[in-house]
Amino acid sequence: MTVAERPFHRDAEPAATAEERRLAAVRRYQLLDTPPDGTFDRIASLAARILGAPMATVSIVDGDRVWFKAAHGLPGVEQTGREPGLCATAALQDEPYVVTDARADPRAAGHPFVHGDPGVRFYAAAPITTADGHGLGTVNVLDTRPRRRPTDDQLQALRDLAALVMDELEARLSALRAVAAERRRRADAERLARTLQRTLLPPALPSVPGLQAAAAYHTASSDEVGGDFYDLFPLDDGRWAFFLGDVCGKGADAAALTSLTRYTLRAAAIYDPDPRAALTNLDAVLKGEHQGNAPRFCTAVFGVLDAAADGSFGIALAGGGHPPALALRADGSVEAIATTGGQLIGLLPAPHFVETTTRLAPGDALLLYTDGLTEARTAAGDMLGEDGLARYLADRAADATRGADGLLATVHELFDDLSSGISDDTALLALSVPTASVPRPAKETR
Amino acid sequence: MTDRTLTAIPRPHPSSATVLAVSGELDHHTAPELTEAIRETSFSPETPVVIDLSDLSYCDSTGITVLVSAYKRAQQHDARLILVGLNPDLTRVFHIVGLNQIFTFRTTVDEAIDALSAAES
Repeated sequence: MTVAERPFHRDAEPAATAEERRLAAVRRYQLLDTPPDGTFDRIASLAARILGAPMATVSIVDGDRVWFKAAHGLPGVEQTGREPGLCATAALQDEPYVVTDARADPRAAGHPFVHGDPGVRFYAAAPITTADGHGLGTVNVLDTRPRRRPTDDQLQALRDLAALVMDELEARLSALRAVAAERRRRADAERLARTLQRTLLPPALPSVPGLQAAAAYHTASSDEVGGDFYDLFPLDDGRWAFFLGDVCGKGADAAALTSLTRYTLRAAAIYDPDPRAALTNLDAVLKGEHQGNAPRFCTAVFGVLDAAADGSFGIALAGGGHPPALALRADGSVEAIATTGGQLIGLLPAPHFVETTTRLAPGDALLLYTDGLTEARTAAGDMLGEDGLARYLADRAADATRGADGLLATVHELFDDLSSGISDDTALLALSVPTASVPRPAKETR
Repeated sequence: MTDRTLTAIPRPHPSSATVLAVSGELDHHTAPELTEAIRETSFSPETPVVIDLSDLSYCDSTGITVLVSAYKRAQQHDARLILVGLNPDLTRVFHIVGLNQIFTFRTTVDEAIDALSAAES
């Protein structure tokens, strides 16, 4: 590259890009075609009063038009073409631009405002200029009579008003940016909470000998994270424990609380696997977390599975504030395994938790769920309720008793039926004992 | 944006009880209204509190928290507290979460006042 080539490029190219950059600056402030508002109207009327002129505008010079953010004394005028001579020229000046008699001034005589309506003879404007030097538009006054050049004081006032417009535009832009940033932050936080919540659920349930287990999480809304949780894990003594519940609240706080709850229950089970003791420990931990006016509480069921020699499983189940589990018996009947009377965990001074027991024989299944399901509205507008859920399952007992997977598939169909009436997340955990215990395969010989 | 509203208006009752009439939707957004009203209500052995929920159309878990805070204040000040007019859905929820054991319920304000004066005599 030679030095001699550079001035040529500098002259040809930037002429176009300077206007592009100026237009980018105009767009940046997002002012074009916004409705009139008080601040700019007042600036225009103040300009008219200071200069003693009947008309004044706050104008923005767009690519092919001059658009008026405020127009004092020019009823019904919103924009005009970008013909040179008035605003289109004044906006690009460094200093105030004055036309004392437009008809006699070759710069302005061709402008439609001069030879047509409203018959402008006098025009004075100060440019609205960004900090990086782009002329966005003007604060200007107009008159239909020729006038003397305004005093220096008046022109200085016009410049101050243009600077005031610029300050206002900057303030609005930073507010717009703050709102956009806040919106992004919230979306990020929500995404993070949702990711966190997914990590709070076991990626796959462990395989428990002689038992089929299936779990699902149904999301009601994509923008608010619920706090439902479940888990199934081995105890030190060869038994298995499971739990399922729902924390109060939504969003990132709920996700954090869900995490705390899940790890507390796991740790509590190692310390003392008695179901009621596990809930009591959780209650104590949640109360320790209680801050000010925002108590953190949840509902949960916690159970311990004890395999018997006949292939059945004894279940000890404790509940705090949670709707009844449902047992689907091999004969097609549905039985509520209720812990009614068990109270919310983490909220009350001396909560009471209720324990019950049941047995899952071959062919039986147990469904645990959170209240997103039973509080869903049916097409008729009523809450589904535990009774509604039990009836639904009883009507489809043949499907529902095809093991834990079949049971969840049946509940999934119910979700599809209710889809419009579900307003809360729902966690599901199904446990079933296969009918004929599959004989242990003989040692592979090949 | 949801435009949920809640009002909580205390009405002194000739019987010396305070009746707090709550109407609207009680959730995360509106809970501060009721929290404030409960904070300003005097709880004492001489002034039992009746919270009238007959016109409450919705109550979520935050709302339950606020009602439990009223229960705790009543316990603390040895004041009697009665909830009135719980709708069937809310009654069901209170039953599931075990709050039916800590609250006393009545169908109407008059029944609540009768119950309070019966207990006094």
